[in-house]
Order: sequence, then C-alpha cells, then structure tokens
Amino acid sequence: MSDMFEKLAQAVIDGEPEDAVALATEALDQGLDPLDCITKGLTKGIQKVGELFASGEYYLPELIIGADAMKDALEILEPALVGDQKRDVVATVVLGTVQGDLHEIGKTLVGTMLTANGFRVKDIGVDQPASAFVEAVKEVDATIIGASALLTTTMLQQEKLIQALDEAGLRQKVKVMVGGAPVTDEFAKRIGADGYAEDAISAVNLAYRLADAPV
Amino acid sequence: MSTSQTIITPIKTDLKLNCLTDEQLSQLQEATLQILETVGVKFPSDKAMAIFEEHGAQVDRETQIVRIPRELVMQAMSTVPRYFTLGARNPELDLQLQDGVTFFTNDGCGHDVVDSKTGERRASTKADVGMMARINDYLSSMSFSWTMVSAQDCGVTSPLHEIDITWRNNTKHYQSVTMMGEEICRYGVEMATVLRGSIEEVRQRPPISLIVCSIAPLVQDKEAIEGALVLGEAGIPIVVMSMPTMGTTAPATYAGALAVGDAEVISATVLMQLANPGAPVFHSILHAWADPRTAAYVGYPLDSRARYAPVEMAHHWGMPALGGAFGTESPELDSWQSAAEVATDPLLVGLAGAEIVTGIGLRDSYTLLYPEAIILDDDLLHQARYSLLNMEVSPETLAIDVISKVQPGGHFLSQKHTRKHMRTAMVRGVCHQLDSEGKYRHPVEYAREKVTWILKNHHPETPSAEVQKEINRILETADKELKG
Ligand code: B12
Repeated sequence: MSDMFEKLAQAVIDGEPEDAVALATEALDQGLDPLDCITKGLTKGIQKVGELFASGEYYLPELIIGADAMKDALEILEPALVGDQKRDVVATVVLGTVQGDLHEIGKTLVGTMLTANGFRVKDIGVDQPASAFVEAVKEVDATIIGASALLTTTMLQQEKLIQALDEAGLRQKVKVMVGGAPVTDEFAKRIGADGYAEDAISAVNLAYRLADAPV
Repeated sequence: MSTSQTIITPIKTDLKLNCLTDEQLSQLQEATLQILETVGVKFPSDKAMAIFEEHGAQVDRETQIVRIPRELVMQAMSTVPRYFTLGARNPELDLQLQDGVTFFTNDGCGHDVVDSKTGERRASTKADVGMMARINDYLSSMSFSWTMVSAQDCGVTSPLHEIDITWRNNTKHYQSVTMMGEEICRYGVEMATVLRGSIEEVRQRPPISLIVCSIAPLVQDKEAIEGALVLGEAGIPIVVMSMPTMGTTAPATYAGALAVGDAEVISATVLMQLANPGAPVFHSILHAWADPRTAAYVGYPLDSRARYAPVEMAHHWGMPALGGAFGTESPELDSWQSAAEVATDPLLVGLAGAEIVTGIGLRDSYTLLYPEAIILDDDLLHQARYSLLNMEVSPETLAIDVISKVQPGGHFLSQKHTRKHMRTAMVRGVCHQLDSEGKYRHPVEYAREKVTWILKNHHPETPSAEVQKEINRILETADKELKG
C-alpha cells in the first residue's frame, strides 16, 4: 500500500505524467484513500522536486514536468475526494497576464513555482481582461491574484484590475500581487496593489506573506 | 534650422560570412514548409483568416490555425521584393537597400532612463524620445532611427506621439516598434501622408516602417497583423520579427528554434503578399536563450554560434534581413560585460550582410537607457566599419622613398610624409580623447559631454509649420478618439 504512495511520489520526481495518471487510476481501483494518495504520494514527490530544484540539481524542465505530473494525477484524485475531504493548499491563486499583453513566460514560471510550493494555481492565460480575473476568483474561491504585465502600455491594466475587484466587492477578500519587467515596487504601491516581486522565487515568498503562511 | 550637416556611414563590404551551407539552408526551408503545411500557425484575426481562405489555405476557424500548402507559400513568396527604399525626411538620407551595405540604428524600446546628471532611475517620457532622436540624427553611424524608449506620458496614443517627436528632432527614416492595431496604424499612415504630401509619395519613399512581432511558438498577434495589413496597403514596409527563446518558446536546439522563427516570419510574409502583392517586408529572427534554471532571457551565452544564420535564411527566401546587434544584459553603463557581450556584433552582422540592423545604446536586455551609452557603443560600430574597409597599397602608402631616407635606426617624425598622414592615420575613439594636459580622458566623461554638446548644437530641420499644424490636429483627434 505504502508502495503505491512511493510510486506516485516517484512519478512526480521523475517527471512522468503518463505514469502518474496511470498510478492514480490504479490506486483508486485498489480502493486507496485519494487524500492519502495526494498527501503521502504526490505532495511528497513535488516537495522533493522543489528541493532538487533549489539545490541546483534540477533544471526548469524537470521542475515543470514534475509539476505537470502532479497536476495530471490530481485531476483523477481530486474528484474522488469524499465528504469534506480537501487537499491541503497554502492558498489558491488566480494568475494571468493582463489585457493587451501576450508575454507569457514570466507568468507561467511564477505559476509553476507557486504550484511546486503548495499553492493551488488557476492560470487563466495571457491577454485577460479584469473581468476574467474576477470571474476566476469567484469560480475557484481564490484569495490571491497574480497579474503580469510586460509592456508600459499594459501595466495600467493592473490598476484597472484592482478597480474591478473593488467594484465586484471582492477587494477585501483577495490580495493582489503584480509583476513583470517594467513594474516596480513604487508603481505597485501607487496603484494600491498588495505586493510586487521581481522574479519567480520572490513571488513565492510574497505569496506566502500574502497568504499569511509561514515561509 | 540645421546647424550641422547630417551624414550617414553604413558598413560596406564585399566580404561574406557563410555559417550555413546550401544544404543546411534547404533543410531549414524544408522544415518551414513542413511546419506551415502540417502544424500551421495561429492567426487570431478574422481578416487574416478570410484572406488565407480566399487563396486556398486550410483554415480552422475554431482553433484559428492556418495551414498553408507549400505551393501557395512559394507562389506568395515570389512577389516579395528583395530590395526597396526606406525614405527619409531628408531625401539625401533615403536608404536604398543593396547588396554589401548594412544600415544601422539604435536599440529600442526601453522603459527606464538613468538621468546622467542626477543618476536617478525613472520612467521614460516623450521628451526622452525626442532627445535620443536628436542624438541619432547627429551620429553618422545611425542610418535611420528607432523608438529608443517609450513615451510613457502619452498613454495609448504614445506610438503616434513617438513619431511626432522623432520628426521634430530627426531627418532620417523612422522605424516604429510600438504601433499596434488597425486604428493606430491608420493614424500612422495619415501622418506619413501629411509629411509627404500624398499617399503616392508615401508609397515611393515611405518615411516610416514598423516592427511587428510574432508570438513564439507559431502564433501571430492580432493587433500587430491587422496593423501590418493597413501599412502594407499603403506600401509602408514592415519587419516581421520572431523572438524564439530556446527552451521556453522554442526547441532548445538551434535548428529547431530557427525553424519555428522562420515559419512565423514566412507565414506573416505570405499573408502580406496575398493581401498586397509586392508589399515590402523584412525578415527577422532574434533568437535568445532561456536560462535553464531561472528562464531569465539570455541574449549572450558563451556559445552563440550561427548568431546571424537568420540573415542567410532571409536571403535564401529572397527577402531583406533585419539583424539584431547589441542588447547586453548588463544593467551598467560601462562595465566589462556591457561592452564585451556586444563587441563583435556589428562586425559579424555586417559580414553576414543584413540590410538593416537595430540595437545600439540600451542596457539591461533592451530596457534601460543611459543617454550617453549610445556615444560609447557608437565606437564599436565604427570599429567594425573600419575593420572592413580596404587598406590602400600604393607607392604613396608604401613610402619606400621615405623609408630609405630615414635609414635603419632613424625616426619618421620629421618627415613631410609623416606630417601629411599622421593626423588621419590614428582615428580617435572615445578612449583617446585628450584633456588639456595631454592625458586621455575617461570615456564616460567624454560621452556625457558629447551628449550635452549635441543637444545644444545640433538642430535638425523640423517639419514645416504647416505640416506640424496638421500633425498636431491628427494627434488631437487620435487622443480624443482613442483615449476616451
Ligand atoms: C520574449 C519577449 C517577447 C516575446 C514574448 C513571447 C511569449 N510567448 O511570452 C514576443 C516576441 C511575442 C514579444 C512581443 C512584443 N514585445 Co516583447 N519582449 C520579450 C523580452 C525580450 C523578454 C520577456 C521574457 O520572456 N523574459 C523572461 C521572463 C522569465 O522574465 P519576465 O517576463 O520578466 O518575468 C519575470 C519577472 O518579471 C517576474 N514576473 C513576471 N510576471 C509576474 C507576475 C507576478 C504576479 C509576479 C509577482 C512576478 C512576475 O517573475 C518572472 C520570472 O522571474 C522583453 C525584454 C525584457 N528584457 O524583458 C521584451 C519586451 C517586454 N517587449 C517589448 C515590446 C515592445 C513588444 C511588442 C510590442 C513588440 C512588437 N512591436 O510587436 C510585442 C507586444 C506583444 C503584446 N501585445 O504583448 C518591449 C516593451 C517595451 C515597453 N516600453 O513596454 C520589451 C521590454 C523589449 C523592448 N525593449 O523592446 N516580446
């Protein structure tokens, strides 16, 4: 039985999404508790991946494919959770690049790092209007928004997003973090964001702070 | 009123650097044809999809992916012009594209400026665009001008304000990096028409052109493409620029990254030709690397072999090429890194034979402006230019008669031949400027002084009062309509 948890962890560590999905399905067939599969299997695996990345042994593709393996297996296991069983996440984050802006890589990287650090991430993609962020917050009941902007012309959309949250009556409930090359700490303060981070690793620390969780 | 004459000194050479064999070029072209035919490229634009459908490409309206049969690619590519003219405000500075000549411009478009007096870092403004356009006009190494920083104080119409302030400070051809979308581009055409007097004149000698980026991998930008179609109709040149990043937005292998980039450029070029056969288009792939640990954008790893292979690919398709030089990652004005990374670029890109080259004078991966940086980088460009000039061998330069006069052990200082040639034999760069005590000055100090001097003394001819009035009216209308 514990063998199955180890195998799930290993599939994440090895970055084998297909194996992870097959194992998750098999585990459910065997009648294993899906929450145990997540906490004793997948989560252990992604923690190890995070450690290997932090120590310099893993490169980005290993980190990202590991996170993918976890995500794919979660799609099988989460719907099988019963009653009030819930996966333990630090916080749920809605992440996207603002309207008019198609720069994707920085945002995606921030998402991967958050996932690998125990956040649930809803990545809504690039070129997203404020309303899409608001809808997504409602849909997944998020408490943090991460908004990326790489253009001086689209940075201003981050301010619009904050206004839209206000109008939707959600501003008290969600913390907003902003980032992207032209964005600065000062700009973030000026538009009333809750935080700014200059790279993906500081973004994780910032998200921990905003989630009020220990770093 | 003009106080000093503007001249341009492009790199000229008959030498050619070939880093790809004919067979490799064919392989790469075949890869592009295969990608276009089987994988396709996403064109999220109804206009673009309709044009492709009309000409028999396979269009999936749902996924917005367009697959182009090779016959259609080849047919469309047969109308793309190999050489054309980039008109300047001053007709003497018109650029006629031709083999063996490489025209350079500055980098763009940064968003931060470090003030040379206060050392403070701040957001760029319309005034900064004007300041750099004036410096560009003065420097002979700059054959045309580019939006060096963004006019962030002008909001959504900043691309139009950037044209306006450039024209008031610069008499060369202007290439925009920021005009996006149909509306802005229509205003751009209107401004060009006012400047030239008629749309026919714009077509003959287009005073502006535009950079349009594709989104690696294999996606076109709706706004960029629809804006480009507006310009194509007016005969205004565009550059289709792909920026594949190895490992993130492209395969982590050179050939694969170039194939992705080429498929993007060619798909947009095909569209431009189908819509307006003969529309002038430049080919450009500026590939970079993603740091495998952080995804940071890296332009200058140790191994950047075949840096200018895309220039050869462009020529293989029968298109003129835009090559990228400069763009150091260093945030510092004058560190070892900021010079070393880019030092060989102008030489290599000149040897590769790119028709136009962008990128001098910014730091921190094209985001940070020190106004004086362009004076330092200007030296690297001239160095490359001189390296490729022929050495003259003649009785006068061999100077055997002078050598025999001096005899073994003598010296040449007292020779008339030396008096005649010594003044020009050593060309002074920024590192060889003397102070009043005959000591070499610090290059940065000299560069700052030169910036101040240019801004004080160089006053390029501005558009006539009549033209300016019309431009102001267009800006007002655009501000009203688009800022709303
Ligand atoms: C690659 C690139 C592109 C690619 C993007 C491909 C893709 N699929 O993402 C392409 C070629 C498509 C592109 C297009 C354009 N681009 Co561009 N692009 C870049 C470039 C070179 C690198 C960006 C990148 O990927 N960096 C690597 C990642 C890992 O870093 P990052 O994005 O900064 O993200 C990190 C941090 O910022 C932070 N972060 C990011 N997001 C978030 C979010 C949160 C919440 C937090 C906390 C942190 C955070 O963490 C990330 C990881 O460490 C930059 C230059 C630069 N130095 O940034 C220009 C740049 C941003 N682009 C620029 C321009 C002008 C354009 C175009 C308008 C060009 C054109 N004429 O078509 C178009 C615009 C398209 C659009 N509508 O968005 C300009 C912007 C200038 C300005 N004044 O605003 C820049 C600065 C280049 C320049 N100097 O000209 N571009």
